[in-house]
Amino acid sequence: VSDPAQLAKDALIAIASARTDAELEGISVEYLGRKNGRISSLLSGIGQMAPAERAALGMAANEAKRAIEAGITNRRAELEGARLADIAETEAIDITLPGPPLGRGHVHVLTQVRRQIETVLESLGYQVELGPEVETEWYNFEALNIPAGHPARENWDSFYFTPELLLRAHTSPVQIRAMQRLKEPPIYIITPGRCYRRDAPEATRLPYFSQVEGLAVDKGLTVGDMKGTLLYMIQSLYGRERTVRVRPSYFPFTEPSFEFDVTCGICGGAGCKSCRHKGWLEVGGCGMVHPQVLRNGGIDPEQWNGYAWGFGIERMAMLKHNVEDIRLFYESDFRFLEQF
Amino acid sequence: MKISYDWLSDFVDLKGIGAKEAADVLTRLGVEVESLAIVDLSAIVIGKVLEQVPHPKSRNPLWVHQVDLGDRVEQIIAGAPNAVPGSLVPVALPGTTVPNGKLVKDLNIAGYRARGMLCSAEELLLGDDHSGILILDSGRPGDPLTSVIPSQAIMDAEVTSNRPDCMGHLGVARELAAGLDRPLTRDFMPAFTGTADPPGRDLVEVSIDEPDLCSRYIGGVIRGVKVGPSPDWLRRRLRACGVRPINNIVDIGNYVMLEYAQPLHVFDLAKLFGGGRGKAIPEIRVRRARAGEKLLCLDGVERELTSDMLVIADGRQPVALAGIIGGEDSAVTSETVDVLLEAANFSGPSVRQTARLIGLRTEASARFEKGLPAELALAGARRAASLIAELAGGTVHRDWADVYPRPQEPVRVRLRPALVDEVLGTHVPLLESESILKRLNFHVRVLDDGEWDVLPPVFRLDVTIPEDLVEEVGRVHGYDRIEPTLPGRRRDRWSPSLPSVDRRLDSVREVLAGAGFNETWSPALVSGRLLEGLRISAQALRVSNALSDDMDTLRTSLVPSLVNVVALNRDRGRSDARAYEIAAAFLSPVGDKTVQPDEPLRLAAVATAGATAESGRQAFYAMKSVLDACVAALGAPACTYDRASAELFHPGRCAAVVMEGRQLGYLGELLTTVSAGARVEGRLVALEIDVEPLLAASRTPRAQALHKFPAIERDLAVVVEETVAAASLESAINEAGGPLLAQARAFDEYRGAQVPEGHKSVAFALTFRSPERTLTDAEVDKVMAEVRLGLEKRHRARFRE
Repeated sequence: VSDPAQLAKDALIAIASARTDAELEGISVEYLGRKNGRISSLLSGIGQMAPAERAALGMAANEAKRAIEAGITNRRAELEGARLADIAETEAIDITLPGPPLGRGHVHVLTQVRRQIETVLESLGYQVELGPEVETEWYNFEALNIPAGHPARENWDSFYFTPELLLRAHTSPVQIRAMQRLKEPPIYIITPGRCYRRDAPEATRLPYFSQVEGLAVDKGLTVGDMKGTLLYMIQSLYGRERTVRVRPSYFPFTEPSFEFDVTCGICGGAGCKSCRHKGWLEVGGCGMVHPQVLRNGGIDPEQWNGYAWGFGIERMAMLKHNVEDIRLFYESDFRFLEQF
Repeated sequence: MKISYDWLSDFVDLKGIGAKEAADVLTRLGVEVESLAIVDLSAIVIGKVLEQVPHPKSRNPLWVHQVDLGDRVEQIIAGAPNAVPGSLVPVALPGTTVPNGKLVKDLNIAGYRARGMLCSAEELLLGDDHSGILILDSGRPGDPLTSVIPSQAIMDAEVTSNRPDCMGHLGVARELAAGLDRPLTRDFMPAFTGTADPPGRDLVEVSIDEPDLCSRYIGGVIRGVKVGPSPDWLRRRLRACGVRPINNIVDIGNYVMLEYAQPLHVFDLAKLFGGGRGKAIPEIRVRRARAGEKLLCLDGVERELTSDMLVIADGRQPVALAGIIGGEDSAVTSETVDVLLEAANFSGPSVRQTARLIGLRTEASARFEKGLPAELALAGARRAASLIAELAGGTVHRDWADVYPRPQEPVRVRLRPALVDEVLGTHVPLLESESILKRLNFHVRVLDDGEWDVLPPVFRLDVTIPEDLVEEVGRVHGYDRIEPTLPGRRRDRWSPSLPSVDRRLDSVREVLAGAGFNETWSPALVSGRLLEGLRISAQALRVSNALSDDMDTLRTSLVPSLVNVVALNRDRGRSDARAYEIAAAFLSPVGDKTVQPDEPLRLAAVATAGATAESGRQAFYAMKSVLDACVAALGAPACTYDRASAELFHPGRCAAVVMEGRQLGYLGELLTTVSAGARVEGRLVALEIDVEPLLAASRTPRAQALHKFPAIERDLAVVVEETVAAASLESAINEAGGPLLAQARAFDEYRGAQVPEGHKSVAFALTFRSPERTLTDAEVDKVMAEVRLGLEKRHRARFRE
């Protein structure tokens, strides 16, 4: 056959009856092969032809080539469509059946919350500092301006081993140790860790719990800086719609002293049952570091000042995840731990 | 503390300020109002009882009253007998809901109509007295009850321990007045003094043996009082604050305490004795109790006293426990005529200690514990004396005994006024700062250099440094008005942000989570007896004042806590459990429990296995894989495992975990006694290692070039005597394998057919590889022959096809 149009017709018939990709590939080689393909062969004598004939043949050959190529592409698509339609039926599975249990373990919710808190404060330049859980009287009380006989001591009823040795009632001793170790401000630290107070276990308190305290010592720090830091922390953890308020309170180691509250997440501050109609939830304590405490840490209060704050990790986790009984965190019931 | 809104309005004009708003202002000032109870009495009316007869038919004692309600008379039935004819009583008519929530209905009781209810103080939430109908002093039948008793608003507030002056209504009112910028209408020091002769100090002899524990003792003499019930309004206020009215004299003492925060005590002067023979006048001596002395207290309990306790004694014996409770024998009774009014100042720590020793905390001790100013005693005494004169008709003698061995030192504070703005981070005008301090009764004198010389009022012992004054200004100015900012200035010093220990351990947590382990946070305080039973108590620290014996000792190992976790979850339906914990163990040096213990941070894990020896064996190896993966995740060098024995662990299945020659801890199967002790059936495997050396050995992974040429794998089954460890075989293989042997790993252990008695077959997978070329089988065969030879020589090994 020497007519490109006829060749194309033959090819399209073959293409239409092809059943596989391989057959189509064979047809492609047979007709379109660069050396021995039937279109190429047709053009082998083109050199001897008159220019007008040559042009006509060339054009016809190109047309035939395009037609064959298009035919192959279309047929390939048809075949693929048919194949998909086929497996859609023959290989169909019940996608509503569940997968096998993964058996993954869970990182403790308090670890998760502690991690979030650390991450947020690290982004402000605070460093994590750790310290011993068994502390001396001096670090736990005296250095923090709470001498023996101080009426505030009853807020930190502690477990003692000897008259000098006790389980720390807060992570504040770590602040003193950090100031003594770092010596020169600026100091921006947080002190996560376990604490102990002699309170009988109940739904809202335990004799053991965990705190994160923060301490900033620098030049010219203000109550405004402290408020901003707390607000940044709370909004980073709970969302930008939350606000913070500080209320005057009393701690021997800060002056002025405050408690800080967060707007209730359920009513948004309007007052509801879960915030006991206050609109606010108590989170922790804070204040400007008492000059004597700075001195006890080896820092000159004439040159530097600071602010500090502290709160319970459990309390933060309870607010965040709507946990109503603090004992769940330490009971280790997997049905609880695996919810987070 | 309970605060009555109505009482506050005695001292500050609260027009236009409702109870809710007053509570909010107080909270913002630092007197945190936790709750506010509003008692609405507007639906209750006043009735006058005309007739009272016993219910003729009821089996229970009931009384039928005819009650005049102004425009009509109704029949009302009550169980209490005290609404005798002529009484004015609060009446709730049918359809009314009384303040305690009860809905009053029209009833028929055994044939008699009951058209309402006569109310008790408790039902009206005016106190907890439910013994009878509340009898009113005054009022007109038919008028609303609020014409004689205003609706009540009671705040429950938390007063911080530095502000004992706010443990009285006057102190709270002063805060409120400052916050509202309204005048306080009562001076701190009442002007009242007695006038009667002879001078009070000639009627009683007062001495203080312990001036460190009692810095002041005022004994005021009032003669000819008429003891009887207090007036309504006074009883009502006491009840609202949770204090039970007793008689006018005692009630006035309590009333003034609730008003001025100064606890008072009143003795029957006739029951106080003098000291020596022939001495006529009664003696008051403030001294330590003597061993063996006893005091029958006002609560009816006789208490043994010790020399740690400060008492008020007369010439013969203790008559009161200083600052805590009075004695029964010298108490005011209905027969009392002359009284001694005590207003004293006792040391806080001493009162607290005694209150703890006897296990009794009273309104008085709660105030003294905080450390009261001695100047307050005189103010309280004057106020009480004036009320006694007014309400009980006594004659107050002049010139009371006032022994004051440790006069209160005045405190002055120098304030650089710019400090206010510097600390608060906002601008408070100087005039406002000064005005605030003055409203709080501070005296301010501006010095030539511009600094302020500030004199706090005598009742504010908490103000001693300039920062205290900043707080006073700040809290009244309003902390809400301070804009939040973040600290920031150009810094030339900083600390690099290095990951915390906890963040570095997150890669371990990832491995453990992937392996199905749940993380736990268990209490570090455990049962000392449990640790003793497990023989891991030698280094344990025991709490001297434990709450209970199941948490009296710091754990020396995390493993028992995790075994308990397995037991708890088994009890709650989870038979397979894997748990881990990262926390400190507490190891005190043996024999010295007075120094701070070591607190190594530990990683411990426990997993359940089946009941058979084989399942325990498999779980052991699974636990090794978990630990190896944790170590690899930290980039630390691989651990080796040495046969070991340790408490808690199975003697044949315990490995010491060693890294770079240092022992980190143990891994193994737990003794069945350990698991059975926690009621866990089946076997448990566990590991417990020190985290710090592991972190210290952790390295940043360095990328290795990927292999270019294919490896050749060969298996080798080595038959050796039982005692030869796989690790020894592995090192023999590595030694003989030369540079072409890339890795040898044991993957199976076999006993049985083809393996002689007392022997085992250990299968190794060997990987051969060259970085330069593709190896030929012939090359590998040659090395394999060397390996066999080495194993034969070293371990008399044979080989299985």
